[in-house]
Amino acid sequence: MKKVDEYLELDEKLWERLLELTGGDVAVCYQCGECTAACPWGLVREKALPVRRLMRYAQLGVEHTDPDLWLCTTCGQCQATCPRAVDIPRVFKSLRQIAWEKHQVEKGLPTTLWSMYWNGNPWSQPPSQRASWAAKLDLPVFDPAVHEILLYVGCTSSYDRRAQKTAAALVRLLRAAGVSFGYLGNEEPCCGEAALSVGHKPYFEEIAENTARVFKEQGVKRLVTVSPHCYDVFKNHYAPYAPDWQPIHYTQYLAELIEQHRLIFDQALDMHLTYQDPCYLARLNNEYDAPRQVLAAIPGVVFYEMKDSHIDGLCCGGGGGRMWLETPSGERFSDIRVKQAVESGADHLVTACPFCLVCLEDSARLLPGSALRVLDLAELAALALKE
Amino acid sequence: MAASLYQPEDQSTEVWVFLEHQDDLFENISLELLGKGRQLADELGWQLTGLLLGSRVSKLADQAIAHQADRVWMVEHPLLERFTVDAYAHAAYQSILKGKPGIFLLGATHDGRDLAARLAVRLRTGLNADCTDLRIDPSTGVMISEVSGFGGGVLALIEMQHHRPQMATVRPGVFPILKEAPDHVGEKIPFPVQIQQEMIRTRVIERSVSASIDLTQTPVLVAGGRGVAADLAQLQELAEMLGGEVGATRPLVDMGIIDRERQIGQTGVTCSPKIAICCGISGAFHFIVGVEKAGTVIAINSDPEAPIFDNADYCVIGDAQKILPALAAALKRDTEGVRG
Amino acid sequence: MAELQIAVCMKVVPKPEEVRVDPDTHRLLRQNVRNEINPPDMNAIETALALKDRYGGKISIFSMGPPEAVNQLKVALAMGADHVYLLSDRTFGGADTLATTYTLACGIRKLGNVDVVICGEESSDGATGQVPQGLAEWLDLPQVTLVTDMLLDVKTKTARARRSIKGGYEILETPLPCVVSVKTACNEPRFMDFQLRARSDQKRRLTIWNAEDVGADGNYIGEMGSPTRVSGLASAEVRDRKREKISGSRDEVADILAKLIRGIVQRQSI
Repeated sequence: MKKVDEYLELDEKLWERLLELTGGDVAVCYQCGECTAACPWGLVREKALPVRRLMRYAQLGVEHTDPDLWLCTTCGQCQATCPRAVDIPRVFKSLRQIAWEKHQVEKGLPTTLWSMYWNGNPWSQPPSQRASWAAKLDLPVFDPAVHEILLYVGCTSSYDRRAQKTAAALVRLLRAAGVSFGYLGNEEPCCGEAALSVGHKPYFEEIAENTARVFKEQGVKRLVTVSPHCYDVFKNHYAPYAPDWQPIHYTQYLAELIEQHRLIFDQALDMHLTYQDPCYLARLNNEYDAPRQVLAAIPGVVFYEMKDSHIDGLCCGGGGGRMWLETPSGERFSDIRVKQAVESGADHLVTACPFCLVCLEDSARLLPGSALRVLDLAELAALALKE
Repeated sequence: MAASLYQPEDQSTEVWVFLEHQDDLFENISLELLGKGRQLADELGWQLTGLLLGSRVSKLADQAIAHQADRVWMVEHPLLERFTVDAYAHAAYQSILKGKPGIFLLGATHDGRDLAARLAVRLRTGLNADCTDLRIDPSTGVMISEVSGFGGGVLALIEMQHHRPQMATVRPGVFPILKEAPDHVGEKIPFPVQIQQEMIRTRVIERSVSASIDLTQTPVLVAGGRGVAADLAQLQELAEMLGGEVGATRPLVDMGIIDRERQIGQTGVTCSPKIAICCGISGAFHFIVGVEKAGTVIAINSDPEAPIFDNADYCVIGDAQKILPALAAALKRDTEGVRG
Repeated sequence: MAELQIAVCMKVVPKPEEVRVDPDTHRLLRQNVRNEINPPDMNAIETALALKDRYGGKISIFSMGPPEAVNQLKVALAMGADHVYLLSDRTFGGADTLATTYTLACGIRKLGNVDVVICGEESSDGATGQVPQGLAEWLDLPQVTLVTDMLLDVKTKTARARRSIKGGYEILETPLPCVVSVKTACNEPRFMDFQLRARSDQKRRLTIWNAEDVGADGNYIGEMGSPTRVSGLASAEVRDRKREKISGSRDEVADILAKLIRGIVQRQSI
């Protein structure tokens, strides 16, 4: 018999906590290993991310604060493949929450949370400049009595120069459709998703409570988000704070406007497109159709689906807090994705998430000999408006 | 109001300047201080005195005089061979109590700041930090210091009426170095001090100084992005010509073309060069963060929509790989024309 | 050695990008400006917490400021500090670094038995970088500045500090007690511990001392104790880039750039 050299300490209290934090899901896993096979990290690394093993640690109440814990992008590919649909990303986030309690987190993440605390955004940008991107756009201050929707821009599209173009394009589209909308400007509170995705649930709850209170005071009922991450967190994690509002992702709203004949595209675009389903819109919130409806309404474009599309959509690598961590080149999912985009026959890769936009564009730039352009759907649609 | 150890009425009409040196050479800041000190002294009709601490400083004292010091106090002691705050504060304190200068300037270098801050408290006088300008108020004869605060957003003018010496640390690189005047005559005054080993409370156990890459201190940054990936040599040539360093964006580091130590940006180095020349860099904000503090930013990129142009002082829309050789040639021409 | 006593000096400052100078009155406009803990002081508290993790002991925060400063300073308690001493008094107002360091020294002396005093390198508002050294002088303690790392030897009561110097580093040994200033961004401050945060005994960990409490001499504090005086204030040019386009043929552009660059890089020798 083989001698056992390593012993694992089983902690009953930890086991109970993890059971609670994961909503019981951790007990449902029967260790088939489909998750490890499905995880995109297996595409970019020799050794796949040992998802099954992490699930086992969680099941047994074994502490795990290894670096692989922070690789997870929470893309949900594992959950979609799991025969029991275990919420595996939630298990990862629960293990992360324990890691925070022990101050054993990936370098760079405390800075991200401190930035949210002192600056109201995870990007270490000044709070007084949140609305600077809109300085020349003359956006009206949100008034529930007058405005159909609140435009919720979110931190990334407010501060990242590339993503700001998406917000600006969306404003053009809303105006072209005659939508009466308002904006909270510098007072726009952070949705808190960054805290939730890196596993700091208590801090997320604090942020959410405050944001919900601001929305309540402002009389927000219907809000349109630029980022699927903000959309996901408002839709699925704000229930304890705001039962009566309707968050909607901008692609869904544009689809609605198109259906109502409020938004019309006059300009034909001679482009060959493919579309990246953002994990947080598609797989996690089951929204595959609305963006495709918008694309279908744009005259002149030819559309191709990439390999690994729809529920098998390949993550860009930005979720789960990875936008604030360094992913070494050669290990980026987005490098594979842009190759798939080119292979599909497209010359333009369209997406609907600021993280996807930034990650994919970075990868497209590095793709040798390629002229693939990466665009956000709002930017594309804005091009199709009559001048 | 607590008084300084000596009053304005007791001051000697001298501007004193602390002269930092290493391996028998003055640090640039010392020469800058002599230059500015000369100007202030002339305006006031005062003398300019250099305070020179070390183990053997006679040759340096001659140099100080050649740089227009009227006097040099040579404070020599074996325990002053290397800078230690305890020994230097003690020696400087003794000197100042004896000499009672009206103004005492030091460089805002690490050693200068450490020394000045301790000394000012010991002398119960004021200290203006990291000054970017110094003037004399014509009506009062008092020195006015210009400093910046709040991340550089606010400029303040500071003075002290009743306390002496009026102390200030001066930001290196602000004041010019005056040309040497080899015929200038001055006095070398040896000032002996007593220093015991026990006074020096800190002990150096290990010291390691290497010629490692430190982009944070470079006065000139030549940074390259994907647009110049094919030709790093151009960047290196330009950097060498201008006495600077080469930096790069993440893609170049990823491609293995350049060391990670040279990556500029949010997950790399943040530097504050006088000038940053950004070639073939699109300017995503995680890069911009690394050069935000640069004095002047020049951007060369073939994409007119590149976000770098929003963050540059001078924008050139063009192919960096073609412009760089032309720029190098123009710079060579300039140097050749300015001989003699 | 008895329990290690660490003092950390922290300052609550306005966010620098929000501070403006009124062009008419030439005074600082402070209304509606957000406050934060001086970022280098966050590195100082993290250094202290690392020492506490390793050697045990207590961390006391010292700050000079208005009573509202406790709202930000509580953050230090949530990170793992044990007590906050806020030195607050009308007469402390208008202090320059001489008076500030004197006041902080009074507070630290009142607590007594402090083994290490840790400060940030400089503050984001005044940015003099003179407080740690001035404090060391008032307390008559050895100082080590620009520290990136430190270890203690509790038996011999010494500290070993690694500090940044031009082109490299050095390791200094100094007896305790001593004053240390840490290099900005030398570490990543840990985020708040939410269990500590929720503890209801916060009030018990906050003490406000006035001038009398710390035995401060009225001649050395506040405006009275400040030799320097601000005689003028102005907004510095906003650092917005010029965005000036340079066009022309390749050689024309090269010439313009060369001239520009030379002008900036060259030292004028008069």
